[in-house]
Amino acid sequence: MAKRVLVVDDAIFMRDIIKDIFASGGFEVVGEASNGVEAVERFKELKPDLTTMDLVMPFKNGIEATREILRVDPKAVVVMCSALGQEALVMEAIEAGAMDFIVKPPRAEDVLAVVKKVLGEA
Amino acid sequence: MPSGVDTSRYLGLYVSEAQEHLEQLSQNLVKLEQAGSTGPVIDEAFRHAHSVKGMAASMGFEATARLAHRMEDILDAYRSLKERVDRATGDLLLSATDALLGHVRATADAKVLPDTSALMGALERKLWVLKPDTTPRPSSPPPPPALARSLGLPPRFALRLKVAAGSATPGVRAFLAHKRLSGLGNVFDLRPGLDDLKAGRLNDGSFSLELETALHETEVRAALNTIADVELASLRLIEPDAPSVPKTNEPEGPRAVGTEPARTVRVRTELLDQLLDGAGELLLATARVREVAKSAPAASRGAMEGEVDRLNALVKDLHAKVMKARMTPISVMTDRLPRAARDIARRRDRDVELTITGAEVELDRAIVDELNDPLLHLLRNAIDHGIEPPVEREKTGKPPRGRVQVNVRRDRDRVVLEVEDDGKGMDDAKLRAAAVSRGLMTPEAAAALPMREALMLCCLPGVSTATDVTDISGRGVGMDAVKRAIESVGGTLEIESQKGKGTRFRLLLPLTVAVVQLLLVDVGDETFGVPVAKVNGVVEFPEEQLARSQASPLLPFGNTLLPVYSLAEVLAVPNGHVHAGARPFVVVEAESGKVALGVDRLRGQEEVVLKALTRPLDLVAGLAGVTILGNGQPIFILDVPRLLT
Repeated sequence: MAKRVLVVDDAIFMRDIIKDIFASGGFEVVGEASNGVEAVERFKELKPDLTTMDLVMPFKNGIEATREILRVDPKAVVVMCSALGQEALVMEAIEAGAMDFIVKPPRAEDVLAVVKKVLGEA
Repeated sequence: MPSGVDTSRYLGLYVSEAQEHLEQLSQNLVKLEQAGSTGPVIDEAFRHAHSVKGMAASMGFEATARLAHRMEDILDAYRSLKERVDRATGDLLLSATDALLGHVRATADAKVLPDTSALMGALERKLWVLKPDTTPRPSSPPPPPALARSLGLPPRFALRLKVAAGSATPGVRAFLAHKRLSGLGNVFDLRPGLDDLKAGRLNDGSFSLELETALHETEVRAALNTIADVELASLRLIEPDAPSVPKTNEPEGPRAVGTEPARTVRVRTELLDQLLDGAGELLLATARVREVAKSAPAASRGAMEGEVDRLNALVKDLHAKVMKARMTPISVMTDRLPRAARDIARRRDRDVELTITGAEVELDRAIVDELNDPLLHLLRNAIDHGIEPPVEREKTGKPPRGRVQVNVRRDRDRVVLEVEDDGKGMDDAKLRAAAVSRGLMTPEAAAALPMREALMLCCLPGVSTATDVTDISGRGVGMDAVKRAIESVGGTLEIESQKGKGTRFRLLLPLTVAVVQLLLVDVGDETFGVPVAKVNGVVEFPEEQLARSQASPLLPFGNTLLPVYSLAEVLAVPNGHVHAGARPFVVVEAESGKVALGVDRLRGQEEVVLKALTRPLDLVAGLAGVTILGNGQPIFILDVPRLLT
């Protein structure tokens, strides 16, 4: 069965790119969120296999959202999405429990390589 | 304790109480590891560590107090962080508990306390990892491997990792790998350091570290395999994982009797032994008075016998109460088993669930003491040679997790203790072959043995089905020692096993060791007692009609022929009697099977209080003890199984 993905990013443009990458890789994108608060809500409701998480978002940033999601489900797999130059924030997110990260602008093969690894499929 | 107060008078209490706290702490830790840090258990563990710290400090044992203090800190950290105690930490805390026990025992024996500075360092590092803000950075280096092993610390791997050359963010990749590994155990000796690592200042994309973890190498590899762009260049075990014998040396010394802390009082065990001796003497003295009363003048005889009856009833009641005071719940032994099972399973890569039922059943303290090691050995055997590795189990359609059950129940005047596993069972063909190859029996005799007796062959010295001698169960006490210990307390061992299904060891134990029913036999001018429990039957048979085709004469018994031994010859008793006509033979269960012992006369049965032999008489093979009969005559009690060896 295709793995279910929740895509979190405040830019519709970025969500669309990421969604297309997942679709091409045989994943099923089951939901989207445009900020941290929404992300936690959607996570609780959808229980996805994987969540991609933007770092900088309104209301609640990606690190906070990741912390909350892991409190809901300590086994949740959250992969951060970050631009180059945000390494310090990514490391903070990893400390908070994020499983991995992908770099924006995302390249299909890189994203799929990372998530497949994280989900133990490669 | 204020200075000037002599602490030595509290030493005994300190030793016994600290040991109890530490044993319970050890049980708590095993539970914590299984269930995660759940409230009541971690609170309890914390309190035990705390008590030991306080007691040791009061006694002025600084090193012990410091070690206990560190444990207390770590438990407190887990309590407040609400984090799960992982396996590596579980190992560390259990090692520390063992080390504390070592301290307490050394104190009891007035020996120098063992050096625990390496362990102390490991605890401090763990604490620093847990609470970096409030803990000073530990300075002590990790313990050298040999010491780590002796401390029972988990093995350590040296890893070298490489971030893919094309990675845009090598620092974050490396940091991610470091973080993942930190979740598996304790990371040491990270090169380059964490700051350089995070900044991506790597030498050719590589970094190295050491990982102390209880996980298997494959699990470490699997964890790293979930990270893209980080490659494991090399992984090697620094510490050859030589399985060491789990620590089984039990604390000596006094133990609490009963399980209700509020209503018990500590009594030295020697005092209990003396009380029993005293009560036993009273029983014997009463029996002698009864004998004397028989020859009293007819006028006073009736009254005397009445009084003797009353006295006898009182003494019997007293004796029963002393016996009851000696009764100890079997949990004293079985409480240690979960920890042992965990250690053995870990070392042998088995997945085992141990269940214990009936631990509240009580047995005489002497029996409980005697069975400690044998029970542990049976448990080891079950896990080591019984339970298959998870992969093998799944292939044969069994659940990957093996089951070992220790079931205890009271069965009339006996206690039945069973150790049962659902492992691969015993191979009777191998046992038969081993017995033949060791020259213990002919191939024909081995083949003819019924299954039950064939399985018992594993109790002969040097016969074992285990082809791989492991450090855990292949050496030290063998099944022969187990069987001997069980018999020494008047019990018997039975084995049932089904190939592929599992094995059950059943111990049938008397409630008490002290009172035995004897069959009294005369040989020459001597009288000996044979425990009735060991007697299969008594026959009278004319000696000259014994079958004499073999080396020893044979007595027809049931539908078999039993080898005959003259008890007078076996015991080297001068025998002036000539047997014309029928002679009594006592059929007993000896080590080699049933044998018939030729005696001069059967004198009847008597219930006696068995007294252990002291040096040098205890060195004489074939004697189990001594007792004084109602008529005042002292006699030896025969150790039937070993009479002929």
